[in-house]
Amino acid sequence: MSGHINRRNLLKGASAAAGLSWLPAIAAQPADRTTPILVAIELSGGNDGLNSVVPHGDDAYYRHRPTIGIAANELLELDDHYGLNPGMLGLHRLWQDGDLAIVHGCGYERPSYSHFTSMAYWHTGVPHRGNEFGWMGRVADQLATSRRDDMLINIGATQSLAVKSRRHTPVVFDDPERFQRHGWMAPQVSIETAQVSNTPAREFLHAVDRSAQASSQRIRQAWRGYQTPVDYGIAPMDLPKVAACIDAGLSTQLYHVSFRNNSFDTHVAQPALHRRLLSYACDGIYGFIRDLKRIGADHRVLVLVYSEFGRRVPENANMGTDHGSANVMFLAGTGVTGGHYGEQPSLTELVDGDNLAFTTDFRQVYATAMQGWLGVDAHRVLGDQYSLIPALSKLT
Amino acid sequence: MSNWRIRIVLGAALLAACTATHAELNLEPLPAELWSQSLAAHLASRAGFGATEDELRALARLSPRQAVQRFIRGLDDPDLPEFEHSGIFDPGLDPFPPSRPATTTLAKRQGHALGVNVKPGGNRPLQPVVNKFFYWLRASRLETDRVSYWWANRMLRTGHPLQEKAALFWHGHFATNEDKVRDYRKMLQQLSVFQTKGLGNFRDLLIAVAQDPAMLVFLDAGVNTKDSPNENFAREIMELFTMGVGNYSENDVQEAARAFTGWNVRGLEFHVNQDDHDDASKSFLGQQGNFDGVQVIDIIMRQPVTAEFIAAKMYRYFVNEDLDAADEAQLGALLASLDFDIGEFLTVVFSSQEFYAPANVGTHIKSPVELMVSTYRRLGLQKVPGVPDFNVVSEALGQRLMHPPTVAGWSEGRSWITPSLLFERSNFVLDSLFPDIGFIPPDRYPSYGSEVVKVQERLRQGMSVSAATKPTGVAAGADTMAASNLLADRDEDFNTRLGSMRGWQMALERVKPIGRHTAPVDLTAWTIGAECTTSRQVVELFASQFFAVDLAPVTVDGLASFLHAELGTDDIQASVSFLETPLRKLLHRMLSLPEYQLG
Repeated sequence: MSGHINRRNLLKGASAAAGLSWLPAIAAQPADRTTPILVAIELSGGNDGLNSVVPHGDDAYYRHRPTIGIAANELLELDDHYGLNPGMLGLHRLWQDGDLAIVHGCGYERPSYSHFTSMAYWHTGVPHRGNEFGWMGRVADQLATSRRDDMLINIGATQSLAVKSRRHTPVVFDDPERFQRHGWMAPQVSIETAQVSNTPAREFLHAVDRSAQASSQRIRQAWRGYQTPVDYGIAPMDLPKVAACIDAGLSTQLYHVSFRNNSFDTHVAQPALHRRLLSYACDGIYGFIRDLKRIGADHRVLVLVYSEFGRRVPENANMGTDHGSANVMFLAGTGVTGGHYGEQPSLTELVDGDNLAFTTDFRQVYATAMQGWLGVDAHRVLGDQYSLIPALSKLT
Repeated sequence: MSNWRIRIVLGAALLAACTATHAELNLEPLPAELWSQSLAAHLASRAGFGATEDELRALARLSPRQAVQRFIRGLDDPDLPEFEHSGIFDPGLDPFPPSRPATTTLAKRQGHALGVNVKPGGNRPLQPVVNKFFYWLRASRLETDRVSYWWANRMLRTGHPLQEKAALFWHGHFATNEDKVRDYRKMLQQLSVFQTKGLGNFRDLLIAVAQDPAMLVFLDAGVNTKDSPNENFAREIMELFTMGVGNYSENDVQEAARAFTGWNVRGLEFHVNQDDHDDASKSFLGQQGNFDGVQVIDIIMRQPVTAEFIAAKMYRYFVNEDLDAADEAQLGALLASLDFDIGEFLTVVFSSQEFYAPANVGTHIKSPVELMVSTYRRLGLQKVPGVPDFNVVSEALGQRLMHPPTVAGWSEGRSWITPSLLFERSNFVLDSLFPDIGFIPPDRYPSYGSEVVKVQERLRQGMSVSAATKPTGVAAGADTMAASNLLADRDEDFNTRLGSMRGWQMALERVKPIGRHTAPVDLTAWTIGAECTTSRQVVELFASQFFAVDLAPVTVDGLASFLHAELGTDDIQASVSFLETPLRKLLHRMLSLPEYQLG
């Protein structure tokens, strides 16, 4: 059977739900090794941005954080005002290569201090109102206006709201080796799985089933065909799997991964733990960029790093910090013009109970990624006009 | 007390009158003449973990009222065993420091920690302390896996399944994770709160949880003191446990945190450090007073939104995740009018016409634990199999007991299903019907921490500790080496990788093994006993026993021809001697259908 016929079967399957489980591999969109790719990395739990990118040139920082403030001589120096947390060796190397943009003061009006509420705002890009679909899902809806496989890949134990799309079913998996329905002496009579009634739950299950069958073989082949000498550190946040998919030529342009289990939700005895978490995250990101260089795909990929909120400026009495508001975001990759963007919020004029006043709407960074990198009209996705961050070489 | 309740009921009635276009939930009891075995199956799957054919027949003979009472009150449990402790704990382990660095710092300062003295000299004087630290981390985790097995067996065998189902609900609602609590005893104790109070009064349950050692540790309550209130506990009590976000201010969080100051743990007991408690006046949700934690909880209990939040969450869990927000007030008023009695609330819900309406039958996506236990229950098993491992499978499916992913618990509903999780569900069925002969017990062999096995191998080959504990697979030089790997093993007082390996060995000696029996399935006897004569009848038998929704005729045709082809005949009675394997293959295919996820 040609790929063309399979393709037709697949589309037919979308309406008539033909049994496809035992068909050979289905080619998705032809491999295209030039389209731009966006990889979003979530540091869930509320990463303490002030102890990540440390304004050591500002005395107010040390006044607010007498015990957990990091001394200038321990930092990985960026310039005479900023240094990175000593765990962030990976991002420091990217900075030295000119591949890291730090966007200061990212947040939104009337911030929520709840992990789940604020994360939902970041996932939808719609604070306070919310949206049924995620911001990356809506980008996918703009990129392809009819249903397509492999539009969005979300590696994780559960699906993120960020990738929920009106038209496309995201490919969500954790371990590629296990992304397979095991058989037994592979019997090969297909069983048709038509629906007799159309409850929303049943339709949903059938849609996911179709997506799973269409994508699993491609993902497993990608993972098996991939080997890397690059050291991603010990918690690489699934980035090697993303590299494998890109290396295999999947047509996917949108990837979402996260540091698992709300790990950045630290309140107590934070410094050692936070440093360790940052070292894992930054090792993974640096390894990923190096791996992309190795496979010649670095020029296609933009990495966007975010967290649902930063931390309150003054430390608490348990050597930790509590939920806060504005935070740093990172853009990384060969296509990035390294440097500082946005404005560092004042550490002396705090708002809303010792918090930073945001200076950059986080959707400016989203708009930059979708419009400046992927070429999607950000206004259509976000419903508003946002000025772009001039951090992409393409734009400047 | 009764005044405000009446106001809520009136308020709800008024609201209902104003929004005449929206139909209320029909909570009137189901008339007895409509009761049937298929409705009994619906009740058994939602109020429990499903039922066998025999159990369903017995339920169908009762009135709906009696059937619901059987779930609310339960049957006597003749021989449900207590949890059998391995005996891994010793008093030196309490209090357990928050981290390895905290442990070694403590040991350096006072000369001992965790009941182990620092060696007076020699190489790596802190090593025995570090070994003990890793021993407890490992042993407590493995013992927690035994607690989960014990609980899963209760779910399977209990005569009071709603008690366990409700405990599972509260475990997701009041989510704590052993990874942070690091003490299986506290997890077991918390589970017992959910089991004994989960169908009782919500205020009693809430106070018991707020004073529960596992919860206090999990939400850092122990460090919440007068001089430095920690908001984590107060915030989650309001946001996740009672009212939901948006119904209180940041100031309320800070004031409530003050009321909870001093709440702490001593061993396995709740303890208030009066010196740390802030007994000055607080302003909380519009009220002033020298509130303590219980008084704050009582103010929360009086907020109408609390009843709505809890009632709606229970309804979404037990009935339908797509609850219209307009119906939340009705459910909240009901719960408040019943004085927050959870069992009485569920009695009304499970007896109602609404519960049995077609829109609520066969539309619930089973959670992984529901899927596993109900599959085993329908297969008639008396024991949760050791192969596959219950905890490994439930983790792969997204619901490892005692390890909810975040403080918000599991998201339930559609979040259980992704493309790969749908495959995992089917693989669970395969692994139960055709045990994997490559299975390695994860409580004996550290399959998820193979680095310690490599360390042990190198030590056995005679390498030095430093050489044996160097991270593997790091080929590149220091300029590109990951920071986390560069940092390993700097301290000469001890070696963490050695401690991790030795801790595993010590845990293995103490923690009792999990039995590794496979599922004793006999589909042949069942099929023959049901007097099936054709492939189609077998498919129909399995469908009626396992599925909450009808399968499409074309699917039934396909399954029947599959079995026919496997047997080489359509004569079931003539195939008895070789029937079992084809039947299991058929069942695997059936339980792999998307429809099997619906309960």
